[in-house]
Amino acid sequence: MTDQSPKLVEPKPQGQARQNLADFYNPQVLINLGPSHPAMHGTLRVMCRVNGETIEDSTCEIGYLHRAIEKLGENRTYHQWIVYTDRLNYCSALANNIAYVMTVEDLLKIKVTDRCMWIRVICMELARIIDHIICVAINALDMGALTCFWYLYEWREEAYTIIEAMCGMRLTTSYARIGGMSHDLPAEFEAMMARFIKGLPKAIDDVEQLLTTNRIWIDRTKNVGTLTKEQALDFGVTGPCLRASGVDHDLRRDRPYYSYPELDFEIPIGLHGDVYDRYLVRLEEMRQSLKILKQCMKKLPGGPLWVDDRRVRIPEKKDVYEKMEVLIHHFKIFMEGIDVPPGEAYNAIEAPNGELAYYIVSRGGPKAWRIKIKSPSLFNFQSFETSVRGAKIPDAIAVLGSLNIIAGELDR
Amino acid sequence: MSQLVPEVLAKQDELHSYLEGAFAGQRLERDANGESILWLKGSDLLGTLECIRSDERLQMDRLSDLTVYDNVDGVDGAERFVAVYQLYSMKRHLRLRLKVLVAEDQDVPSVTGIWSAANWLEREAFDMFGVRFSGHPDLRRLLMDERFVGHPLRKEYGLEDRQPFPDSLPVRIAERRSEGQHS
Repeated sequence: MTDQSPKLVEPKPQGQARQNLADFYNPQVLINLGPSHPAMHGTLRVMCRVNGETIEDSTCEIGYLHRAIEKLGENRTYHQWIVYTDRLNYCSALANNIAYVMTVEDLLKIKVTDRCMWIRVICMELARIIDHIICVAINALDMGALTCFWYLYEWREEAYTIIEAMCGMRLTTSYARIGGMSHDLPAEFEAMMARFIKGLPKAIDDVEQLLTTNRIWIDRTKNVGTLTKEQALDFGVTGPCLRASGVDHDLRRDRPYYSYPELDFEIPIGLHGDVYDRYLVRLEEMRQSLKILKQCMKKLPGGPLWVDDRRVRIPEKKDVYEKMEVLIHHFKIFMEGIDVPPGEAYNAIEAPNGELAYYIVSRGGPKAWRIKIKSPSLFNFQSFETSVRGAKIPDAIAVLGSLNIIAGELDR
Repeated sequence: MSQLVPEVLAKQDELHSYLEGAFAGQRLERDANGESILWLKGSDLLGTLECIRSDERLQMDRLSDLTVYDNVDGVDGAERFVAVYQLYSMKRHLRLRLKVLVAEDQDVPSVTGIWSAANWLEREAFDMFGVRFSGHPDLRRLLMDERFVGHPLRKEYGLEDRQPFPDSLPVRIAERRSEGQHS
C-alpha cells in the first residue's frame, strides 16, 4: 500500500496524456477520405487538414471515375453515344438520355411529337423522384437512420419496375432515341403509375414524421454545410441545393421547355442552405413531381410516337424483316449514322441535381466535333471545400450526401 | 425547332437585336436554338464580362459552363482553340455565349476572380486541351493524373492511347489565395 501511492502521482503518465492531447489538437494533421470509402458515395477523394475533429481546410481530388466519355462522343455516332449518357448520372439515367437527344434534335431542327414530349416529361419527373429518393435515403442512412432507407427504397424499386416495363432496363435505360423513344409505353403503364402515385406519398409522409422534427436529425443537419445565396451563385450551384440556399430558380418555370408551362406545380425554396433545408426541398420536390405525374397521366395524348422525318426515323422491326428498302434504311441509320448539319447547340434541362446541359459542336457528319457535358455535380462538389470548412468530419459525410454528388457525372 | 417554348425564343430574339446594336462591328452569330454567340479577343474578355454583367438589359451574372474546343480544322478562325463561356442571367433568364480564339502558345485571362465556379472548369480545360489561363490560383490537372503526358481532348490524341498508373499520388492541400475573398 505504501509503495503504490507515490506511483499514482508519478509525472510520466500525466505528461504522456498531455502529449497525446497535443497531438490530437495539432492543426497539421491530415486525414484522407476516399477514394474507396463506403461513406464517400463513389470514387471521391478529399484530403482534410483537421484540428481535433474540426476540418480547417480541405482539398477535393476528382477524376477517379473518368472514362473519357466526351472523347468517346467524338468517336461514336450520335446514336451510339446514347448509351454513354446512362453512365453519367446513373441514378437518373432517363433525364440524361432525354437531355442529350434534345440537343441533337435541336441541331437537326426536329420537333418531337406531342405524345413523345409528354412521355419524356413523365420520364424526367420519374427520374427526379428516384434521384431524390436515393439522395434523401442515403443521406439519412449515413447518419444512422436505416428505417427511412427501407421506407423509400421500396418505392424506388417500384419506380424501377415501371422503368423496366417501359424500356426493358432498370438502371441503364437508353430509352430516348433521336426523334422518338425506343418503345411506346406498355399496356399496364397506367395501372402501375396509379399504384406508384398513390403509394409513394405515404412513404414520404412516414419519412417526414421520422426525420423532420427528430431532435437527432435536426442536430446533425441544421446549420451544417451552410451555403449562403451569394456563395451558391458564385460556385454555380444549381438545382435543389441552390433552391435550399434561398434562390428561387428552376429552369422548368424560368426557361420552360416541352409541356412544362401547361403543368401546375410549385417550386419549394429553403432559407439557410444547410443540409436540413436541402432535405426539406427534396421531399417537397418529390411531392411536386408526383403532382406533375398525376397531371401528365391525365393529359397524355395519343397519336404517333415518332417524328415523321426520314433522317432519324428508325423503322419498325416488322418492316425491317419484310421490306428490302426498309432494311437498307435501318442498316444505314445504324452503320453510317445520322448526318447532322454543321452548327452548335447548348441545351439545358432541370435535372434532379440541377442544370444538366449538353453543348454539342457539329461540323457535319454522323459524329460530333465536340460534346461538353455540363454536369451539375461538378459545380455542386466544388462548393464542398467551402461549406465544410469549420465543420466536423461526420458533418462532412452529411454534407456530401446532401449535395448528392454522383461520381459518374462528376468525372464523366 | 427548338424544344424551348416560343416565349423564351422570342426573348432570345430580342436579346440578339439588342446585342447587334451594343456590339456593332463585332462578330456575332446565332446557334441552332437562336442563342447569341459573341466573339471576343482574349484581351477584351474581362472588360466585356464586366460590361455584360452590369448592363441593365443583359445582367449575365452566372457562369453556366466554361469549355474549350479544338479548332484544328480552322473552321472558326485561324487560331488553334476556341474558349467558350456559357453565361446565364438569373434575373432575365437569358443565355449568351462568349467565344475567344486562342492560339496554342497564348494565355486566356482567368475568370476565377469573377466566379469561383471557373476554378475547376479552367483546370479541366487546361487538363484536356493544354490551354493556359493567366491569373488562375492553382492551375493543375483536374481529372487526369499529374504524371499524364499530353492533353487527351486534342484531336491528335488517339482514343486508344492509354496511360495507366498502378497507384495514385498523395493529395496536397491546395494553396489558398487571400482568405474570405468570396465571402
